Amino acid sequence: MMPHSTDDELPQVDITTFLASSAHDMKNSVSLLIRGLEQILATTDAQAFPGHQNLAQMTYEAKRINSNLIQLLTLYKVGQQIYPFDPQSVSLADFLHNVAAQNTELLRSQGVALECECPSDLYWELDEDLITGVISNAFTNAIHYTRDRVRLTAAEVDGKLELRIEDNGQGYPPRMLRESIDSMRGVDFQGGSTGLGLFFSATAARLHRHGGRGGEVKLENGGPLGGGCFILRLP
Amino acid sequence: MTFEPTGSAPEADFSSKTFLIVDDFQGMRTILRDILRSCGANAKNISTAGHGTEAINLLSSTRFDVVLCDFNLGEGKNGQQILEEAKVRQLVGPACAWIMVTAEKTADAVSGAAEFQPDTYLLKPITETILRQRLARIWAKKEAFTEIDRAVRAGNHAKAIALCDQRLAFDKANFTDLLRTKCDLLLASGDLARARQTYETVLASRQIPWAKVGVAKILLQTGDPAKARTLLEEVLRDNGAYLEAHDLLAKALQALGEFEAAGQALERAVRLSPNSVVRQKNFGEMALKLGQLDHAERAFRKSVTLGEHSVLKTPDAYLGLAKTCSAKESPEEALRVLGELGKRFDGETVQLQAMAVEGIVHHQSGNPEKAQQIAEELGRKLADGNTKTDSQGTLEVARLLLATGNKESAVALLQNEVQNSPDNAALLTEVKEIFTHAEMGEEGAQLVEASRAEAVEMMNRGVMLVRNGQHDEAIAAMRMAREAMPKNVRVLFNLVYVLIAKLQNGAGTLDDMLLAEARASLDAAQQLAPGEARHAQLSASLNALTRTAGA
Repeated sequence: MMPHSTDDELPQVDITTFLASSAHDMKNSVSLLIRGLEQILATTDAQAFPGHQNLAQMTYEAKRINSNLIQLLTLYKVGQQIYPFDPQSVSLADFLHNVAAQNTELLRSQGVALECECPSDLYWELDEDLITGVISNAFTNAIHYTRDRVRLTAAEVDGKLELRIEDNGQGYPPRMLRESIDSMRGVDFQGGSTGLGLFFSATAARLHRHGGRGGEVKLENGGPLGGGCFILRLP
Repeated sequence: MTFEPTGSAPEADFSSKTFLIVDDFQGMRTILRDILRSCGANAKNISTAGHGTEAINLLSSTRFDVVLCDFNLGEGKNGQQILEEAKVRQLVGPACAWIMVTAEKTADAVSGAAEFQPDTYLLKPITETILRQRLARIWAKKEAFTEIDRAVRAGNHAKAIALCDQRLAFDKANFTDLLRTKCDLLLASGDLARARQTYETVLASRQIPWAKVGVAKILLQTGDPAKARTLLEEVLRDNGAYLEAHDLLAKALQALGEFEAAGQALERAVRLSPNSVVRQKNFGEMALKLGQLDHAERAFRKSVTLGEHSVLKTPDAYLGLAKTCSAKESPEEALRVLGELGKRFDGETVQLQAMAVEGIVHHQSGNPEKAQQIAEELGRKLADGNTKTDSQGTLEVARLLLATGNKESAVALLQNEVQNSPDNAALLTEVKEIFTHAEMGEEGAQLVEASRAEAVEMMNRGVMLVRNGQHDEAIAAMRMAREAMPKNVRVLFNLVYVLIAKLQNGAGTLDDMLLAEARASLDAAQQLAPGEARHAQLSASLNALTRTAGA
């Protein structure tokens, strides 16, 4: 029989392990939550049920929590060197198409028009789950901050794959453009921006290596639509 | 290309397909069923199962086109174990799309054993859009591989490889998968040179992990573990979760005699993939070798527990556990484990191994009479040549014989074993270790080397004679070699080779006796070492011979 530990005998633990295991546990709960909400949404009539719009908003928020938790867990695993990085040859046209299709409902409800451009024979070696996370995140952000248009493009530029998400909103605040991605780990509780999405994107990009070079993320303002511009370049 | 972003993907036809949903939650089964129905599936074509046994029953009675299987099913089999059983028992063929539903991506998901990989993993929560997209992609890929799969199933690797080459010329969408399949096929058919060349071509344009791992695999097979190690360490530096690279690195380190490092590699593999029956067993064996008895016991017990619901369960985990318990001075527990082993596995080889371990347990627990009695019985059994066993069984018996002082019969057994597989580096190392353990290190090393050299000389004599055009002398030499080393697979293959050379040399008519001898030798080799690449090659040559002769 093991004696019970007293307070001053508590072993030193790394808080990140608890954060990771809790994130994992929360993710399971949020999955159940999303599943339940979607079931109600699917079985009720938007006209007949007055709370329908609220439920849709709740589902969107639950999905946001879910994708944050996924990013946290992924970052934890990358840090522990246990993330199963899995680069595969991916058709970029299919890839963009899939990202767009997964957000059809959001585009419609926000009244945002989308244009996509990509060569039909463009293939690249990338970890699809990671890059889907990066692009979906930037894409939903763009949908929320744009006026009424979002542009999603992929092309090979100077031997690298360049994915761009552009909008015609106000653009990124100057502070975000000035700071490098690495220093953007500070938490801004007021503004609701944690920097997680960008840090995740930069980490995911850097895991993609080829010929001694890693991927990178850039933010710009301007571009063909005149708003914010999120750029992911993979070697 | 500019495309309509919200337009629908190439519509896949769900209506004529059959589906199986496996999930332990009734609510989830209903949701998945609803998703499938809104994709166009016919309600009467959708079956559901709440646990592994039910799923296996349904899979045995119905051919499903699509299986949607949750990974975590609570008690009983997990999703991976259902997939493994379905593949091993051939309840699903290559046409079946298997989708594993998981809460998160794990190392097993991307770099586990290829033959037991599902077609895709879907992370929860699943939506209709994502399911449609994934199935459309899987079906497109299956269609591209239909002919190749058919050739593989017919055992015609050469044709499958040619089909890959044909498609590689135009199919950009499946380019990487085709290339990878081609490499796998080249490896399986023993064409290491071409496989390596193909991997190197891939690597010339991009440092792709699977291609590097492929080269390492070849280096291990061609006896260059040091180079293999360098490559694998490179892969792991960029991608620490690449499971297969850990597995192979452990093999390379073992071949280099760096057992401690090999143990560490296996430990990392087990941490990444804690639910693999085979990995836990491998780690257990290395820990036992290193004297890390607690680690060994934990790993073997985990392997045994995981094996309860798995077709991949292995007697080796029980044997290892029994040896570990014995080493930890718990002979009763060791004997109990051996009793469990007897209940779960039958077959002469397993029984023989269990008896040998039982002898060791008695030897270690101060019961020399009992140990001696078992050793003598086993020695007799193996000496008369009628008892079926494999290399591990023989080594186990030799260990017991040495421990109980039956030196002569142990040496004879081990020499024989070396001659049967003189080019198996791992075996030679193990035999030398057994001698060292019995404090006969130097003598043992000499014995091993002498037996090996003699065997290699006999094995190659036939092939050299054929090169000089002395066909009859070649056949005579290989028949003598077979006499001396009946279980040496390479002798059997070389005998077939010289027989084929003689048959090819004869003008027009075929000698039926030689043909029959070649076939019988091939069958014997297949029994000793199923699935050897050279078996496929030589069968193909033999078949070609009988076809051209119209026999």
